[in-house]
Amino acid sequence: MLKSKTFVKKTRSGGVMKVVREHYLRDDIWCGSEICTECKQDSTVLQRDACIESNLCTFPHYLVPDTNVVLHQIDVLEDPVICNVIILQTVLQEVRHRSAPVYKRLKDIIHEQGRHFYTFTNEHHRETFIEREPGESANDRNDRAIRVAVKWYSQHLKTDESGPDGVRVVLLTNDQGNKQKAEDNGLLVYRCNEYIKSLIANTELVDRLALSNEDKNEIASSKILFPEHLPLSKIQAGIKSGSFIQGTFRASRDNYLEATVFVQGEGEDSNEVLIQGLQNLNRAVHQDVVAVQLLPKNQWVAPSSVVLQDEGAAKDDDVDGDEEEKLVNSMKATGKVVGIIKRSWRPFCGMLNVSQIKESTRHLFTPADRRIPRIRIETRQASTLAGQRIMVAIDGWPKDSRYPNVRPFRMMYPTEKQRLLQHLVSIINDVWFRAILSDMAQRQDLRHLTVCSVDPPGCTDIDDALHCRELENGNLEVGVHIADVSHFIRPGNALDKEAANRGTTVYLCGKRIDMVPELLSSNLCSLRSNVERFAFSCIWEMNHNAEILKTRFTKSVINSKASLTYAEAQMRIDDTNKNDDITKSLRGLNKLAKILKRKRIENGALTLSSLEVRFHIDSETHDPIDLQTKELKETNSMVEEFMLLANISVAQKIYDEFPECALLRKHPAPPPSNYDILMKAAKSKNVTIHVDSAKALADSLDGAKVDGFQYFNTLLRILATRCMMQAVYFCSGMDSDFHHYGLASPIYTHFTSPIRRYADIIVHRLLAVAIGADSTYPDLMDKHKQSALCNNLNYRHKMSQYAQRASVAFHTQLFFKTRGILNEEGFVLFVRKNAIIVLIPKFGLEGTVFFDSKDKASPKLVFDEEIPGVSVPVPEAEPQAKKQKLDR
Amino acid sequence: MATAQVSEAEKVYILHGIRDDLRVDGRGCEDYRHMEVETDVVSNTDGSAKVTLGHTAVLVGVKAEIGKPRPMIPDEGYLEFFVDCSANATPEFEGRGGEELGTELSNTLYKVFNNQHSLDLRSLCISPGEHCWVLYVDVLLLQCDGNLYDAISVAIKAALFNTKIPKVHISSDDEGGKEIELSDDPYDCMRLDVENVPCMVTLCKIGHRHVVDVTLQEKACSVASLVISVTHKGVITCTRKVGRGSLDPESICEMTEAGKRVGKALHSPLMKLLQQEESLGKKRQKVGFLG
Repeated sequence: MLKSKTFVKKTRSGGVMKVVREHYLRDDIWCGSEICTECKQDSTVLQRDACIESNLCTFPHYLVPDTNVVLHQIDVLEDPVICNVIILQTVLQEVRHRSAPVYKRLKDIIHEQGRHFYTFTNEHHRETFIEREPGESANDRNDRAIRVAVKWYSQHLKTDESGPDGVRVVLLTNDQGNKQKAEDNGLLVYRCNEYIKSLIANTELVDRLALSNEDKNEIASSKILFPEHLPLSKIQAGIKSGSFIQGTFRASRDNYLEATVFVQGEGEDSNEVLIQGLQNLNRAVHQDVVAVQLLPKNQWVAPSSVVLQDEGAAKDDDVDGDEEEKLVNSMKATGKVVGIIKRSWRPFCGMLNVSQIKESTRHLFTPADRRIPRIRIETRQASTLAGQRIMVAIDGWPKDSRYPNVRPFRMMYPTEKQRLLQHLVSIINDVWFRAILSDMAQRQDLRHLTVCSVDPPGCTDIDDALHCRELENGNLEVGVHIADVSHFIRPGNALDKEAANRGTTVYLCGKRIDMVPELLSSNLCSLRSNVERFAFSCIWEMNHNAEILKTRFTKSVINSKASLTYAEAQMRIDDTNKNDDITKSLRGLNKLAKILKRKRIENGALTLSSLEVRFHIDSETHDPIDLQTKELKETNSMVEEFMLLANISVAQKIYDEFPECALLRKHPAPPPSNYDILMKAAKSKNVTIHVDSAKALADSLDGAKVDGFQYFNTLLRILATRCMMQAVYFCSGMDSDFHHYGLASPIYTHFTSPIRRYADIIVHRLLAVAIGADSTYPDLMDKHKQSALCNNLNYRHKMSQYAQRASVAFHTQLFFKTRGILNEEGFVLFVRKNAIIVLIPKFGLEGTVFFDSKDKASPKLVFDEEIPGVSVPVPEAEPQAKKQKLDR
Repeated sequence: MATAQVSEAEKVYILHGIRDDLRVDGRGCEDYRHMEVETDVVSNTDGSAKVTLGHTAVLVGVKAEIGKPRPMIPDEGYLEFFVDCSANATPEFEGRGGEELGTELSNTLYKVFNNQHSLDLRSLCISPGEHCWVLYVDVLLLQCDGNLYDAISVAIKAALFNTKIPKVHISSDDEGGKEIELSDDPYDCMRLDVENVPCMVTLCKIGHRHVVDVTLQEKACSVASLVISVTHKGVITCTRKVGRGSLDPESICEMTEAGKRVGKALHSPLMKLLQQEESLGKKRQKVGFLG
C-alpha cells in the first residue's frame, strides 16, 4: 500500500520547499515476541517470560518508552536490569533527530543480544501507521502513533491463548497528557519514575533518573538570576557586525566572580577581555567558546585583587561595590557574556559536599578544578559517595538557577582498559620477534665504546647514554646515544597510534604512566648497562674548546658499560683515585659541558628555577615519609648540555633535509607585559630587571642579589619562570618563527627522550630518513598531519605537567596530614587585597593565606584553612602593605 | 497550432449546421463540450488541476516560492506563467514546434492576470520590499483538440483554488536581520481567493454566428476568433483577437456580449464543483491520469 508523506521545509537559501516522499506500508512486519504464533518470524527477540521484578507490574510485560523517556532516561535504559523493551520506529527516529549521542547509545543497547530490545517499525506497519491530522502538532502525532502501536501490541499479544497472565505491554511516558489519553484508550501506562521506583532491589537506578521537567520547575526559584543567552543566529550576526567578540572563556583560579575571555586575533591582535560579576559571567564555564559584548569604557574595571572562593552564600555582587578605589591605569577592556557558542562541558572530577540537612537529596559538588563552578547534584546515596572522588557531567544551566544541574553520574568500567592491554601484549610479542630477526647491516657496531648512562636514581627508562674519547689527532669524540624506539614502533601500527595519542609519559609521585608499554620502555629500548641495545647515535668530533668540527648521525648497536645516577657520576668525577675508562670519559664530558654551558649563557640562554620536590614514599602504605627539594648536581647539567647539543644538531639536520615537515620546538619570546610581576617584585628590593632581550634578562637576573637574603635570586627566577610562554612543538612548514627564547637557540627540537615523548619518535624517523637508514611514509611528509600531531602533543604535554603538579600537591597534603603543626620559613610571593600567596621553599608549597578567616578577623597571624596543619608566620605582611612584596 | 484538414464539402456542412445552431457533435453555438476537472493531481506541487475538455487535456501545476517583490510594487507578490506544449499533445509540437504557441499562450495569461481584480496579489506579500510569494503557474498541454484558452483558464482557476501556500511569519531581531519561520504544521496553510479569477472564453466567427468551444474541424472553417477573459461578475479583463481574418466592430460587440454571458455561466458551476471536491477531503478517490 502506498501513501505519500508531504512536508515543507526551509532551504538553505531561505526559500521554502515542498517535499513529497513515498511511504510504503507493509503487512509483513512481525511483532518479535516469542509468544506470538501469528507472525511468521524466523527469530524472536522478546522473551516469553519477560520479567523485571516490579511492584507495579507483577506479570510479565514488555516496556515501550516514549521519546522523552529515551532521551532523558537513557542512563536507566542502559542498565542491564531493563530488558524486553520495544523501541518503536517513531521513537527511534525522533531520538535520532534530537540527539545523536543518545541515538548512538540506544543503538548500542539494541544491538546487545542479552538485553532483548526490539525495534518495531510501526511507521511502515499497515495497521499502526497513522497520518497527521489537521491541527495536530508533530509531537502529538508521534504520541498518537506510539499509543496506536502500543494498542496494537496489546491486542496482538492478547489474542494468543495465553490466558489472563499473558504478557502485557507497558507504556512509559512522563507526559501527563499522553498518559491520560493512553489510559482513556485502555492502555497500561506508567510514569517513568513511578515504574523505576517500583522496581525491586534496584535502588541505584532511581538515582540515575534524570530530573524530569516538572521536577526541574520545582527546583527553580522564581527569581531569574541570569540574562537570557542570545540565539546563535544573532550571535553570528553580532560577530559579523563587530558588536560581539568571540573568544575562549577562562575562569580565574583565584576569584570565582572573575574571568577573562581570550580573543584570538591575527598575530599581535590577540587580547583578553575581562569579565566580572556573576551576571556578566552569565553561566559560562571554563573553556567554553563564548560571545562577548564589550561594556562602555566608563564601566571598565581593573582585575580584582581579591581572592574569592565560592562559599555558596548569596554574597554575590558586593565585591563590585567596594572595588571603587582601583587604579585607573590598570583598567582592562571589560565585557559581558551574551551567548555561548560552544559548550565544552565534559565530565568533571570532584567531591561531594554533603548537604547539612539530613534528608536532603540535593547536594553541592565541588569540582577538583577551581575554575569550574560548583554544581548541584541530586542523589540519594550521599552517605556512600561522601569522601569519594566522583565524576559528573553538566546537564544544563537554567537561567534561574545559581548552579548548573548535573546529569546522573557514572563510574568508568574497567573492562575497556583491560581489553586494550591484552591487545598490546599481542603486538609486543610481534615486536620482540622483529628485534631478533632484524639485520645489523644498517647499524654501526659501537659496542666497543665506553658508553655509560647518567640518570636520576630509580630510573628504568634510560633513553640516553654518552661517551667521550680522545682521538688520535688530539681531538675529542663525543657521542650521544639515544634509545632507538622508532625501530620498535613502526608507523601506523596500534602501538604507534596509541603512543601518538598519549604523546608523553606522565610521571606522578610513585607512579609512572607509560607512553609505550613497559616491556619496551624499561627493557627493550632502555639503554641498560651490559646488554646490547639498539641506539641512534649522534657523534661529534670536537676540539678541546668544545667547538664542533664534524657531526655524524648513525643507527648503532651499543653496550653500555655502566648505568650511573647523578650522584654516582659526580662521585667518580670527584674521586681522584679512580682512573678507569668510564671515569675518564665522564671527566672529558664534564669539561666540555662546562665550556658549552658558558657559551650558551653568553648567548643569552636563561637559567630559570622552579621548585621540584621529591618524596620518600613508604613502600607499603604509599604515604610520603619525607620530602626534599631536588638538588642539582654538576652532572645533571653535564647530561643536559649534551642533550641540548644533540637536539640542536638534529634540529638543524632535519630542517635542512625537510624544510616543510620537520618537527621542531620553539619557545616564543614573552610579551613585555608578562614581566610585570617580576619587575614589581624586584622593585620592592630596589633591583631593576631588564627584560628587553633574553640576554639582558639573564644578566640582570644574575646581578639581582640582596645582602642577607640569599633566596631572593631564586625567588626572582621562580617568578621569571612564570612570565615565560609555553614552549611548543610545531611543524616547520606551518610557521616561520623558529626561535627558542629560553635556550637562545635559533632552532631546536626534541630528539633525546623517545621512550617518554612521542615528538622524539617522529624526529627519529625524520632523521633516519635523512641519513637513509629508514624509509619514509606519507603521514610523515604531510605538514597538515604533522601540525595536527603537534597540537595533540602540546596538549598532552601541558596536561601531563598539570597532572604532575597535582600529584605533587596531593602528596604534599598527604605528607602534612600526619605532621601536625610545623613552623617553617616562607616567602610572600604576591599580595592580594584580602590574602597573600605564600611560598614555602622547603616543601615547594604555595598557598593562599586569607587575612580574615570565617570565624575571626585577625590581621597579624593567620591560621590557614587551605593548607591543613600549616601555620605560617607572616611577620610584616599587613593588608595595606602592597609594596612589601617578597618580604620574609 | 494544431489544425485539422477539412474538405470544402465538410466545411459547407459545418457552416450550414452552425447557421441553424446545430453543430456537428449536436451542440448549440454557446454550449461547451463535456468538461472534467480534477484538482490535487500532482502531489509535489502546491496546487494542481487537470482539465479535459472534449479531447483537449491540460494539466496545471502551481508552485509557490519565496522571492523578492518587484521594485515598483513592493507590497505585492506576482505570478509567473509558463506554457509547455509537449509533443504528446500533437506531433507538430515536436522539437521547438510548440514554442511559439507556448509564448503566445503565456503572454495572453500575463495580460489576463495583469490587473487588480483577478487575484489579490497583496496577500502574497510576506514582508514589503523584501519577501513575497511568487506563484509559478506551469501549464502542460497534454492533448490538443481545440479551445486551448478556455481549458487552460479553467485549469488555472482550479489549480489556484487548490493551491496551499505554507504559512510563514517573519521574526525580526534588533540587528535588522529578518528570519523567515515556517509553520510546523503542514495543514497550516494559506488559501487563495479565486472568486475573481477570470475564465477565458474563445468565440469563433463561423459564418455569421459566434461559436463557443470550437473543435479543430470547426476552427478550420473560421476566419478569426476573439478571446475574452471574464470574471464571475462579468467584468472583462482582457480581449484578444486571434486568427488571420478580420472582425467588424459590430460583430466584436456581439461577441463580447456573448462572451460575457457564457463566461458568467461558466463560473458558478465551476466554483460549486471545486468546493464540492474540496469538501470530500482525503477520502476522495483520485482519478489521476490513468482514470
